[in-house]
Amino acid sequence: MAKVLEGHGMRILQKWNIAVPRNIVVTSVQDLDRSVSENPWLKNTQLVAKAHEALGSRFKLGLVRVKLNFTQTRSAVKSMIGHQIGGLTVREVIVSEMIPHSQEYYVAIQATRKGADILLATCGGIDVEENWNRVKSLSVEVGDTPSRTSLQTLARKTGFPGNLTGKIADFAGKLFAAYDKEDAQYLEVNPLVQRSFDGTLVALDVVTLLDADAKYRHPDWTFPFAAEFGRAYTNSEKELMEIDAKVKGSIKFIEIPGGDTAMLPAGGGASVYYCDAVVARGGKLANYTEYSGDPPDWAVEALTEKVCDLPGIKRVIVGGAIANFTDVKKTFGGIIAGFRKAKAKGKMGKVHIWVRRGGPREKEGLAAMRELAKEGFKINVFDRTTPLTDIVDLSLGKEPATNAKGSKKVVAK
Amino acid sequence: MSIMANLNTKVVIQGGVAGLNAARRMAEFSYLIQKPLNVEAFVYPPDAGKTYDVPFGSTIVPVPVYHSIKEAAAKHPINTSLIYVGANRAYAAAMEALEIPAIKFMSMIAEGVPERDAKLLAKEARKRGKLINGPSSIGVISPGQCRLGVVGATYENLCLSKLHRSGSFGVITKSGGLLNEILWITSQFADGVTTAIGIGGDAYPCSDYVTYLEKFEKDPHTKAVIIVGEMGGTLEEEAAAWYGAKKRRIQLLAVVSGFCQESLPKGMKFGHAGAKEGAKGEGSARSKARLLKKSGAIVPETFGALGPAIKKVYTNLLKSGKVKEIPMVPPPQQLKSVDVAVKAGEITVTPLIRTTIADDRGEEPCYDGYPASELINKGYDIPHIIGLLWDKRLISKQEAEIIRRIIMLSADHGPCVSGALGTIIAACAGIGMSQAVAAGLIMIGPRFGGAVTDAGRWFQYGVKNHKGDIPAFLAYMKDNVGPVPGIGHRVKSVKNPDKRVKELVKYVKSTGIKTPHLDFALALEQVTSGKKDNLILNVDGTMAAVLVDIGFPVNSLNGFFVLSRTIGLIGHWTDQKRQGGRLIRLFDYLVNYATPKRREVPKLK
Repeated sequence: MAKVLEGHGMRILQKWNIAVPRNIVVTSVQDLDRSVSENPWLKNTQLVAKAHEALGSRFKLGLVRVKLNFTQTRSAVKSMIGHQIGGLTVREVIVSEMIPHSQEYYVAIQATRKGADILLATCGGIDVEENWNRVKSLSVEVGDTPSRTSLQTLARKTGFPGNLTGKIADFAGKLFAAYDKEDAQYLEVNPLVQRSFDGTLVALDVVTLLDADAKYRHPDWTFPFAAEFGRAYTNSEKELMEIDAKVKGSIKFIEIPGGDTAMLPAGGGASVYYCDAVVARGGKLANYTEYSGDPPDWAVEALTEKVCDLPGIKRVIVGGAIANFTDVKKTFGGIIAGFRKAKAKGKMGKVHIWVRRGGPREKEGLAAMRELAKEGFKINVFDRTTPLTDIVDLSLGKEPATNAKGSKKVVAK
Repeated sequence: MSIMANLNTKVVIQGGVAGLNAARRMAEFSYLIQKPLNVEAFVYPPDAGKTYDVPFGSTIVPVPVYHSIKEAAAKHPINTSLIYVGANRAYAAAMEALEIPAIKFMSMIAEGVPERDAKLLAKEARKRGKLINGPSSIGVISPGQCRLGVVGATYENLCLSKLHRSGSFGVITKSGGLLNEILWITSQFADGVTTAIGIGGDAYPCSDYVTYLEKFEKDPHTKAVIIVGEMGGTLEEEAAAWYGAKKRRIQLLAVVSGFCQESLPKGMKFGHAGAKEGAKGEGSARSKARLLKKSGAIVPETFGALGPAIKKVYTNLLKSGKVKEIPMVPPPQQLKSVDVAVKAGEITVTPLIRTTIADDRGEEPCYDGYPASELINKGYDIPHIIGLLWDKRLISKQEAEIIRRIIMLSADHGPCVSGALGTIIAACAGIGMSQAVAAGLIMIGPRFGGAVTDAGRWFQYGVKNHKGDIPAFLAYMKDNVGPVPGIGHRVKSVKNPDKRVKELVKYVKSTGIKTPHLDFALALEQVTSGKKDNLILNVDGTMAAVLVDIGFPVNSLNGFFVLSRTIGLIGHWTDQKRQGGRLIRLFDYLVNYATPKRREVPKLK
């Protein structure tokens, strides 16, 4: 899943012959001034200025300003750029022309298991969420294209007046084509309006989610994908994303401020069970991390260093299920090297390491971890006979949830 | 006994290196259960026509590689395809497999397959009444019967998790690592697994829990099914709806991950691609767990509680007589590779070769026992390495200096000599360095540069048997050997002495070492040059005498010329490359055509 900012989403709609307001994305007032010569409409149209960032509810945050002349737009850009919301700084503003209209509508294409749903509503803007029962939908199986008749029927069912159903059907057809051909996961035009002076349907705003896995077949996706959790990526996250993009297998890292428990487990599945266990046992996650698919040791080492850099952590959970093909000795080698570097930087003094793992070369990997105790690390190492998340219980001073009979504990001295 | 994969499964693997690796793992499993390998063929166009080697027990099975799956299917009774190609080729590969009537089941490991492709494949498979498992699937394993993919890890793990025999539990997971974990848990807390399937963690996998639940329900050996779920999507909800719809024969156990989302900053999500909550809380771990519980499934609070829950179900199954305890039959041990067995001290092997000079098995090479870096750090030099590798001894500083000078003096002797000429002609014909230098080196022999060993041998003989009696030595040589090696030069003479020889002799004499062979050679020169002006001690002879004096074995002596002249030959080759030397052809006037005059060819008889 990859979120695309409005300006880039607009370009994609234009590619599929959908009318959008003329717009430019600027990073400063100077940038706006320089754009005037190529975009004379900036001087003779009413304008809208919106913060061009991955933010919901921009209206409520005061980051959308409407009915502006050029001078007012300059001051709007000036006040928005550099504005901070949570962990996110506004760096771009999208300036577009006002489209005179009376009515607002809603059109969206949403992925489903078998294909997609086309959603229509005669109310747009923020009204649509409060009137969700007015949204009508049409399911389309993947590989199929909705007929004009079926879209017209949907428009009629939704309550569009007879003279508009043809236009709405055509618009929905074009939006569906964009969704289908651009490997989108979600396209939402809200509001959709009818331009007063010529009756053309214009997409005033668009939410665009693309399938990042399909990037390889869309050479024109030159824009960056936006972070999806309401803040920009941190430098550490970006550094590790760059490594992740280069290596076999994967390494993932998301920082969560204020946590005391650093996560360094293996596996996209097991890692979430580890996080659940931490939360269930009253710990506070300092990050989400997983490595999988037998990544190179140096990548795991880089990941380990970032995990140990997390401020205020008391414990590191080096968990994992019994790997199928990830080499435990090799990946643990990377983790051990990362721990040593962190220790040299004075980061491990108060940190207790908890290890549980199985898989190819597990004996060698676990033995190497146990050796760390001799170097002064506080570390406890368990093998496959200890249930998956028991190390989380132990690390938080709790009796294991399931002290299964027959599971023997191997505690490093 | 199983679903999807059994003793009748015949597999084609689509993909190269990764596919071969999977086949090797599958062969380990086939060996474990003492059945023939179930991989019939590979499809990998770059290697079409070759065979891949798959080790099986103590043998190696060659498995043919085809250009297309159609070709493979025409020649092999395949019914299952393992798709081991990358995400960008996965769609085409699966479509190719779908076209083959005999292939009913496909499992795909590729991660990052676009969602649209996966949906299209699922639709196509539905249309044809077939099943695709994955994408992002670790594979399928029916213990005791069939392994599809790398699922189950190493041979050691197969044994630990008792995968050589079937049990009573079905398993369906999104995560590959957790599938392997469940195989282990089920072997420890119960009697093991009938079939375990990884469906992959994508948002829209081609097949889902319900697909396989229906099949497990119909498999009489499967008494209970374990689902390892994740937040996001609706697959767990659908499984709950299926399970609750009517009375089911199988007992469902399920765990779901993603409860931690509730206490995370809003919008922050992680895990597999499919692990994303809907806007209104649908697809959350809590709602999934609630629905599963409501449907009658056993839903432990945590993953850790799953083991005891499995144990409880198994105990009840035993009590009710639905299953009987399986007597433990130990699986066959994996055959060890020779290197592992040797390391463990379990076998001995007669070595093929024997060496006494160098050992590279540690962190760095050791020359006659001395680590190379330590020699460097303690100030030793190239001549010392020669001493160690050629004569197994640490030579003195003085001896090293003599060798250094010998190398410097005989590194090159211009382009006209046989060796250099050979190299230059080869270089100009476009031949590579090692061959061109070899073309020069093969000239080294009795007439060019290769007289050092022979000279050393006969000087040694002379010193031993005719010391102080040069005429007797010369008489012996004349009768038994011929011209004395190391004596005589094509262009140099008493009046035109070889400066290299003078330099070397001067230096060696200045060191004050004992030089019986050099003295003998010089005395010999006195006599021979008196007979003929150019019968002087040449550079080969001088080197030979000096080297024998400092104790090098006679057999190594030519090596000093070979070694030092190699420096020059490499120089001649690079020199020609640098200047782009053109192909050399002899001019007619440089050849004496002593051939018969042109004449008529007689009729063939």
